[in-house]
Amino acid sequence: MEALLEEHEKLCRKGNLSKSVEDVQKTIDLLVKARDSIAASTYLMLFSLGPVGKELLTYAHCHLQDQNSASVTLAKLQNPVKQSFEAVNSDLKDVYKGLGNYSKALDKKFKDKPLPTTDYDALSSHPALINRAIAMHLLREGQFSVASTFLTDATNNPPRPVISSSTPNPHANIEVDLGIDSLKSESLRKQFANMYHILHELKNQKNLLPAIAWAREKSDALETRGSNLEFELSKLQFVWLFTGGSNPNDARSLYLGQQQALGYARREFAHFQGRYLREIQQLSGAMAFCPNLAQSPYRRIFHNDDAWEDLANVFTREFCSLLGLSADSPLYIATTAGAIALPTLLKLQTIMKEKRTEWTTQHELPVSTAFYSSLQKGPLIFPGGNTSSARVSLSLDLRLPSVERTDDRRESTNDDALRARRCAGIVSEIEQRVTI
Amino acid sequence: MTAELTTTKLNAESHLLLDQPLLRLPHELARKNFKTVQKHVERENKDVLSALKSTANASLAGQDAPKTVASLENMIHRLQGLKRKMETLHGEEKALHQASRKRIQHLQDLYEIPSLADVKYDEWSRVRLNRLLVDYLLRCGYGESAKALAREKGIEELVDLEVFMQCHRVEQSLRRRSTQECLAWCAEHRPMMKKLDNRLEFELRLQQYIELRRNRQLVEARQHAQKYLTQHAGTYLEEVNRAAGLLAYPPDTHVREYSKLYSDSRWDDLAKLFVTTHHELFSLPPRPLLHIALSAGLSALKTPSCHSKHASSTANASSTTTSVCPICSTELNDLARNLPYAHHTKSYVENDPVVLPNGRVYGRDRLLEMSEKVGLDAGQVKDPTTSIIYPASEIRKVYIS
Repeated sequence: MEALLEEHEKLCRKGNLSKSVEDVQKTIDLLVKARDSIAASTYLMLFSLGPVGKELLTYAHCHLQDQNSASVTLAKLQNPVKQSFEAVNSDLKDVYKGLGNYSKALDKKFKDKPLPTTDYDALSSHPALINRAIAMHLLREGQFSVASTFLTDATNNPPRPVISSSTPNPHANIEVDLGIDSLKSESLRKQFANMYHILHELKNQKNLLPAIAWAREKSDALETRGSNLEFELSKLQFVWLFTGGSNPNDARSLYLGQQQALGYARREFAHFQGRYLREIQQLSGAMAFCPNLAQSPYRRIFHNDDAWEDLANVFTREFCSLLGLSADSPLYIATTAGAIALPTLLKLQTIMKEKRTEWTTQHELPVSTAFYSSLQKGPLIFPGGNTSSARVSLSLDLRLPSVERTDDRRESTNDDALRARRCAGIVSEIEQRVTI
Repeated sequence: MTAELTTTKLNAESHLLLDQPLLRLPHELARKNFKTVQKHVERENKDVLSALKSTANASLAGQDAPKTVASLENMIHRLQGLKRKMETLHGEEKALHQASRKRIQHLQDLYEIPSLADVKYDEWSRVRLNRLLVDYLLRCGYGESAKALAREKGIEELVDLEVFMQCHRVEQSLRRRSTQECLAWCAEHRPMMKKLDNRLEFELRLQQYIELRRNRQLVEARQHAQKYLTQHAGTYLEEVNRAAGLLAYPPDTHVREYSKLYSDSRWDDLAKLFVTTHHELFSLPPRPLLHIALSAGLSALKTPSCHSKHASSTANASSTTTSVCPICSTELNDLARNLPYAHHTKSYVENDPVVLPNGRVYGRDRLLEMSEKVGLDAGQVKDPTTSIIYPASEIRKVYIS
């Protein structure tokens, strides 16, 4: 990369047009000077005309002289102008050379990195599906205005499927119904707008109430999923009130907050008693340490800066899961995975070409692209399984879900570590096993 | 047989497969820019020198001063025009260099990220996704969406809105049956087209000819053919001959060779030919890069259970605490159907697997942990997939052979 950067710098420095522009100006200057001198002598002659009697003679005389000097000036001008143009051309030659060198540097950089060929392109025949994936991606990323522009664009210019022999389309019949259903996208937009509203309140305003209201509404579904979200939200609300709400440093609001927290606990915690008795006991036990919580064993519950971020993540995951969607954008995960797997696939393609074999496109890749997602993200995998084989004892369904991870997350102390861990989830433990 | 390397190391060098067009395009534009300058200079060079020479000769032959001054004025005027053009192009050149620089820097950033698990890689990869999306949107002709996305994400310098939008404008004009815009484009890019087989321009002229014939302007059609088509007889002899034959066949002919020429689908073919030529000229891949990345990614992540008829724990959001798998998620599920599965030579199984009476297998610890979480009494377990509750005594240990 450095070589390329250097070559480009050279190009910027030397291979630009500024010098040739200067040289064109020089040529102009030459011509201007010649014009001025010819014009000047003409004007001089006209203004210096004496009495009318002399006029004719002088005129003829001067005119002759002037004409002489003009042609001399012009004759003298030929070579300098020619040279000046040559200078411009040689400036251009430098630019040309610079471009050529940079071209070479690019070629060298990408010599062993050919653009992946699209001989096999199973996606071109499904533009509607891709558009749907993109629309959903934009919505879930909260880019509502881009999403609505996109939906307008896509509705006005429906995509043309490119169907070729190498792009089988076994599901052509469903393609028709799977365009971007405007009604559905509208409801999805509302859902995600709601999600971002709740997240915004939670993260930026430290206002848990919208999240709590949502969780209460989905209480049953969350409980079937074994999610602690509803309780965790209420617990954080309690903690927030107890530590003084929005004014934690003001003694009076601290006092008031503790009263409010107590009231909140009495009002809300009753229906959590069955599942979370132990946690509730902990919270009430903490009150005994009230003036000195920071040094108490309950410090982790009451002074946890990550709690909000963590809970926001759990909320996002639960929210998406209830919609039947994965928490991270699949489009993002898939393209990232694709970029990582591409070198291996490309190698495979080359070998296939050399040996003139093909693999059956609908089935399994003959090479491990070295992916498995860790337990928290993805499936457990058994070789040899396929869609049609019934699940007997050893079903494919071995993945046990990641159980709530808020507990072990408390250990992490800063945002970076947390985010890193989240990324690690996406590309987690990529195994590079080159089997060819 | 398999050397196992569990690694999250980021190999930036091989990671750049998708990024060649990122640097190629501004370079091709810079070359086009340069060729245009060269063309202008060449022309003015020739004209001004010969004008200067003839002025000098005229002056020698006795042309009076005002006339000489006038023709000098004329030359100055032309050169000033040249300078202005060059200054504009110089400005464009600067912008292109700047864009190239930004892009090289962007790729350079990748070299400084040590691991795929790094937060920075996450950010970089998100920028890449947005780049690929903008590229895809532009290729679909969704210029407004592309612009909005690029603006919102602040990646205008990493994408090529103008190039693609111009390409789309010309493509649309062909679909509207107008050859004007495309011919103008050909003229503008002629200096660069030499290296390519310039079939596009010939086909455009042929189309104009066909339209003249369609409107029964036979004389004009003949003139047009003489002017634009016969010169290509060397390369496209068959087509030129057929064009000549066309004069004898009216638009409603049933002779296949000729009815094909009258066909409306020729306009679509022209539009496609233009896009292909355009992309080739600017070293752009023929298909969106998003397709390449996505199909590789879908294959890499897809497992047989993603499209299984049998309920999978990940597909059944209401019964598990897991997040939905990316391929099972609505966005990509249908899209992934046509792609091959990932190849896995090794099983990843949870510790201490146990089987429930219904035949489903789970890791013991997590099964118990989850059952406790959903508030079951000790001694009961719940199948996360089907939500059926069993007594813990009925679970059996599984031995994998």
